[in-house]
Amino acid sequence: MNNDINVKALQRNCFRQSKVPGEFMLQMRVPGGVIPAKYLEVATHIAETWGDGNFHIGTRQTLDFPGIKYESIPAVNAYIQEYIEGVETELSGVDMNQIAHEPHEWDPKSGYPTIGARNVTACIGNVHCICGNINTQEMARKVEQLIFPSNYHIKVNVAGCPNDCIKANMCDFGIIGVAKIDFHPDRCIGCGACVRQCKAASTRVLMSGPNGLPIKDDCCCVGCGECVRVCPASAWTRNPKKFYRVILGGRTGRQTPRAGKMFLNWATEEVVLGVLKNWQKFSAWALDYKPVYLHGGHLIDRAGYHKFKEIILEGVELNPECQVAEQMFWAETEWRSNFNVKFPEDHLTAGPGSNNGGH
Amino acid sequence: MGYRLNKEQSNALFAKLSEKYDIYAPKRFPKQGRYSDTDVIKYDKVTSFDEVEYTEKSTYPMKEVLNPVHQTLFYFNDEDYHEAVKNLRPMLIIGRACDINAQKIQERIFLGNGFHEDAYYRRRHDMAKFVLMECNGGTDTCFCVSMNANKTDDYVFGLKFSENGLEIESKDAEFEPYFSEYEKEDFKVKFVEDNQLTVTPPVIPDKEVLNALKKHPMWKEYDARCISCGACTMACSTCTCFTTRDVVYTENADNGERRRVSASCQVAGFDQMAGQREMRPTAGDRMRYKVLHKFHAYDARFHEGPMCVGCGRCTDHCPQFIALSATVNKMSKAVEEIMKEQGKEC
Ligand code: SF4
Ligand code: SF4
Ligand code: SF4
Ligand code: SF4
Ligand code: SF4
Repeated sequence: MNNDINVKALQRNCFRQSKVPGEFMLQMRVPGGVIPAKYLEVATHIAETWGDGNFHIGTRQTLDFPGIKYESIPAVNAYIQEYIEGVETELSGVDMNQIAHEPHEWDPKSGYPTIGARNVTACIGNVHCICGNINTQEMARKVEQLIFPSNYHIKVNVAGCPNDCIKANMCDFGIIGVAKIDFHPDRCIGCGACVRQCKAASTRVLMSGPNGLPIKDDCCCVGCGECVRVCPASAWTRNPKKFYRVILGGRTGRQTPRAGKMFLNWATEEVVLGVLKNWQKFSAWALDYKPVYLHGGHLIDRAGYHKFKEIILEGVELNPECQVAEQMFWAETEWRSNFNVKFPEDHLTAGPGSNNGGH
Repeated sequence: MGYRLNKEQSNALFAKLSEKYDIYAPKRFPKQGRYSDTDVIKYDKVTSFDEVEYTEKSTYPMKEVLNPVHQTLFYFNDEDYHEAVKNLRPMLIIGRACDINAQKIQERIFLGNGFHEDAYYRRRHDMAKFVLMECNGGTDTCFCVSMNANKTDDYVFGLKFSENGLEIESKDAEFEPYFSEYEKEDFKVKFVEDNQLTVTPPVIPDKEVLNALKKHPMWKEYDARCISCGACTMACSTCTCFTTRDVVYTENADNGERRRVSASCQVAGFDQMAGQREMRPTAGDRMRYKVLHKFHAYDARFHEGPMCVGCGRCTDHCPQFIALSATVNKMSKAVEEIMKEQGKEC
């Protein structure tokens, strides 16, 4: 093996460097975690023709093919044209001839143009799940249109309900389907099932009132819909209008893993997508318009929440129900105490003339 | 005699009838279902043809019109009370044969069970007339034919709904003038003659068999499967149980109202007595009680067949997929076994 290989360029092309010299792992996007089953034949063909015969289900719901030889990459890229066009263009409505909303012609034989915005993951959502409040697959595909292709990094996870099986709480921008719950007191038989369920499975905001009907502490209802699910009489129903909660800045990783915090509550789809549309703008500003690769969550840290909020909400008209976090107090796991205490010249910053810490 | 009306005429007919009657019919409430993006169909007042949901069986039964989930009986304060007498308008209630037959069972319990008539039920009942809706064949949970509830004669006129409008079977002369301006057609409502499902309730000949059935292990299955939620009885066309609840106004606790509110024998605490004792503490016990009440006790008292019209709503609404039809058929098998053991002829 004496190839001269530009591994960074290959990474942007969604081929990940292997510990075995000259081998790479292809990561194919699966927006929303769902694709027609016919694509498993495509997967089989890639794995058996160019890979090591296996495929790995990526931690972000990608289809991964380890063991692809450097020499095979052009052939693989030509072959996956059908998959990229089928899944990205047709299924998700993505415009492949742009990068971060700027026109950029895509060569269909060249494979994935960028890796920055990671695969949008989703739980199965309300197409199947009895707890789900929203169609996560549709939402994930709409998000895909806004963030891909782009070199700016962001991880978006879409959960059907606050049970958050997809861990929207642990990514840069977590979208959770929530429901406003309507009460129809003339249908309630006072069985107490909702009170018990909210207590056992959710937030304990319901209690049995003096008249036998449930009373709700509206402030802290998370909109999970468990009360609706257990009510035998349809006395609680989901308001037909769809709402979303956005959890910001969650992450794993070596340095400062942390759970995200609530950024928006009771936002409509329009608002969520409007905000995400500004992601490219925010990233560009924070990176001083240099296409360097940096983790999206860290960008928010460097810019500071208030600056982030200013740019990301620009031009977005909030729906009347929507609440926005005034402050953001993340609780990082500091493996090393006083992790943030450094000499001023080592402080990482965002925006014009920013210090990228050598990246 | 019959009539055919297009959509526009059908809407006009509903508007005309609404001048004199409150029309109640199954109506779709989008996205109000138990699971997200599912609907609920329940009885509600309608004033147009377009509002009526006729393609699908309603989630909740017709009984809610005459026996609402909540009904205020009287208002009280610290000195006095007065009865809640609503000035009811005459009602037309649109339903299928099983729905109308279910109202006969409701009537039996509220108006023909012992010495006292239920005045509140009586008031509503006397204001109501039934309008028959031709059933489009039902679903795989229906067993109205087995329950002898697929046909009825108790309706003032019959309707067949379609996307084009209505076909009308005129029956009661009183309503003829509403239709006479429309196109005539030979039309009679057809009844469902077959269901996919057959349910054969057992014949329980004596106390000895009944007692053995009560102890039969078949009920244990429901301890594990049934969550005692009461969704089956809320959806049931024939269940009548209610409790009374005093709603005391928060601004002044000396004032309030007494309501009757639907109750469910499947919910824990339904039969709780002073001293906290419950007669049927397990889900299996409660299931046994419900099924035996419907398929044995009611007939033993009134000799009018089961307290069930086979509408299948209990099965449709059960979140645990417990099919009443399967339960009854299991019970019939258990009775056969017991009879054999006791050396009795089936
Ligand atoms: S997050 Fe909610 S909707 Fe999604 S799979 Fe989990 S429980 Fe179901
Ligand atoms: S939606 Fe609100 S009230 Fe209902 S179970 Fe969830 S937290 Fe409780
Ligand atoms: S579960 Fe439904 S019927 Fe039972 S107390 Fe709650 S709202 Fe009322
Ligand atoms: S028991 Fe079930 S099938 Fe029978 S009337 Fe009630 S809901 Fe209908
Ligand atoms: S049979 Fe089904 S609907 Fe009825 S109480 Fe049991 S679980 Fe609930």
